[in-house]
Amino acid sequence: MSKETAAFAATSPAETEWVTLLQDNTRAGGQGAPPIAPPSRARWQARIGGSIRSAPVLHGSTLYAASLLGKLHAIDVETGREKWNFAAPKQIYSTPSRFQEKVLFGCDDGKVYAVHQDSGTKLWEASTGGEVWASPVVRQGTAYFGSADGHLYAADARTGKLRWKQALGGRVYSTAYAAERSIYVGCGDGHAHSLNAATGKMQWSVLTGNGIDSSPALVGGTLLFGSEDFFVYALDANSGAVLWKYETGLGISSSPAVADDVAYIGSKDGFLYALAVKTGELKWKTRAGEVITAPPVFSEGVVYVQSWGTLALDAATGKLLWRAGPGGSVQGAPVIAEGVVYVAGNGGEVYALE
Amino acid sequence: MDRRTFVKRTCVGAALFLGGMDALAYDDEVKIPPPPPIDVREAPLAKRSPLGMPGLYPGRVVELSDHRSIAGNRVSQPIVRQMLERGMRELTGESSARAAWAKFVEPKDVVGIKINPSGAPACCSSPELVREIINAVQSAGVPARNIVVYDRFGYEMDMGGYQVLMPPGIRVLGVQDDRLDASGYDAEIYCQADFFGEWETRSYMASVVARQVDKIINVPTLKDHSASGVTGCLKNVGYGTFNNVARSHRAPFSFTNPLIGVMCSVEPLRSKTVLNIMDGTRMVWHGGPLTQNQSFIYQAGILLVSTDPVATDTIELDLIEKKRQTEGAPSVWERNPKSITSNNGEFYQDANKNLFYRQPGHIAVAGKLGLGESDLKKIDHRQLLMG
Repeated sequence: MSKETAAFAATSPAETEWVTLLQDNTRAGGQGAPPIAPPSRARWQARIGGSIRSAPVLHGSTLYAASLLGKLHAIDVETGREKWNFAAPKQIYSTPSRFQEKVLFGCDDGKVYAVHQDSGTKLWEASTGGEVWASPVVRQGTAYFGSADGHLYAADARTGKLRWKQALGGRVYSTAYAAERSIYVGCGDGHAHSLNAATGKMQWSVLTGNGIDSSPALVGGTLLFGSEDFFVYALDANSGAVLWKYETGLGISSSPAVADDVAYIGSKDGFLYALAVKTGELKWKTRAGEVITAPPVFSEGVVYVQSWGTLALDAATGKLLWRAGPGGSVQGAPVIAEGVVYVAGNGGEVYALE
Repeated sequence: MDRRTFVKRTCVGAALFLGGMDALAYDDEVKIPPPPPIDVREAPLAKRSPLGMPGLYPGRVVELSDHRSIAGNRVSQPIVRQMLERGMRELTGESSARAAWAKFVEPKDVVGIKINPSGAPACCSSPELVREIINAVQSAGVPARNIVVYDRFGYEMDMGGYQVLMPPGIRVLGVQDDRLDASGYDAEIYCQADFFGEWETRSYMASVVARQVDKIINVPTLKDHSASGVTGCLKNVGYGTFNNVARSHRAPFSFTNPLIGVMCSVEPLRSKTVLNIMDGTRMVWHGGPLTQNQSFIYQAGILLVSTDPVATDTIELDLIEKKRQTEGAPSVWERNPKSITSNNGEFYQDANKNLFYRQPGHIAVAGKLGLGESDLKKIDHRQLLMG
């Protein structure tokens, strides 16, 4: 584990803290949570209205889910009842992130909003020149987020005040990976970038064969992500040198979840792949649906992925353990906590499966 | 303008278009019902644009073929660029691609690029081709902020990755977010017909077409369709502009004929659609429009460039028929009841099975509505082999 990664992983939250995409910024995705038995029922089902294309996040007894009707909903995980909602001016595709008492998310009006986690009161907003689909990632008090205007932004996470922005050349829908000194992000023009976290200065760029929607993960000095050019890439995080790349059958917009030196990632060819982080060697691949665009989630020997349903696979073999019908979302990642799987679907429903 | 008088005339003509009602009875057991009347309410229009369907070059279709345009299921943007430039010059007779594009778009225009993401990711309008069209439109002086890449369903566009893959500055728009979202449609422009006793008998025109764009570049795929026979220029821009269109087919019957042609004739859609660029890098010869089964997707490596959607779809139909024949599959005109299945799984795995009695006759009906040339012998079909 690199120095940067080790320092970051040490801040991983407790089981009921699922602060951003794939639980936390280490992109482990649920690591540490006990595996979930096949769900037999829905504890509750909440219809919040409007399609949900992002992943929910969890804080204590509250689940936060955003919809294309432009609302962020805070849902009581015991009852499924809404505690409050915040109405943004336009659609929300962004997965929310938590920082201190704030919930941050991007909006199609070009802004990132921070609202209070307990009341939904707006605390600040930060403007960009295009839609913000990426999830804001917070590290050391700075929120990093890309925009469809082709820039990566860094703002004070306490106030929303801009610290720097950097032009990248293509739309930025990839959620950034924030390490201690570097920010890593993919870009719609096919480049993967490393930027100085403090200044935004470009450190290196690597061109892939098509746009990058996938959100990178960093493990042991290796940066992992997928590209619409069909390949999974592993780059040296310091230099950008390509360590290996692995070809799948179609483009990749899924993001890797990394655990035990294995990267799990889906492809639009319908397969979920398990690749050795060091070599790119294929451990297994399993057809999980017609198309996978969602990032998988790892939890103590089980990999969960959504593709017209929620699937649980044995992380060692790729064997299907169970499949749950609810949760038609193909974009969202599930939240796994305390024996419950929370999933959100394209139809606007949120389910708590237990 | 309310065109009910015209529409009643159209509907009386449905029997004419289809060769008479007797032609709809295929044997003693299968009788395909005649289409109901279709009422149309459309936008007032002082004068029909000469650029609108069938456009500046009626009956002319340029087919460009280059096997290098797709390899390993990846589309080559540099090769597609060459094909597009050559096709536009051939279509217009201009010596430069920029001059060719200037015949269709002006710097003051808001230009809509109507893609087809419905088969994404396996077969959809290639982002590589769409990016080249954007470059070409910009070369004619249209600023990025005046370019809109759109389709009806945002979630299908998500699947194709268009949002991230388009350049910054242009709009990427999904007209509706889910099946029941009608907020992106214009209540004043619609087609109305009761096909199967459905509760909502109107289909409304997308507001982006009715009110926002001045010109439309239509970018369909080369694909068969279980209900309409093929989905090409006409279906992409007709059914891709109005909502609530799936009600026109209920297995095993399909009223895509004549609804597709009627929708394409509705103003301002007809006048705004100035150019068709069919993406034939991949050809779906069975399982359309949604199949992900690579067994039925052929890497054809062609583009079709035309202002005439009827002529283009006629060529498309011919290409798909030939491919199906080569593969031993029945014609899309097949009327044998034994070819019909109600099992989706069977349909997606077996090219001998279909969900509907397909209606490729919708192309000829669109021709009779004045939208273009459907007689293969009269089409100026220019085939250019580039590599």
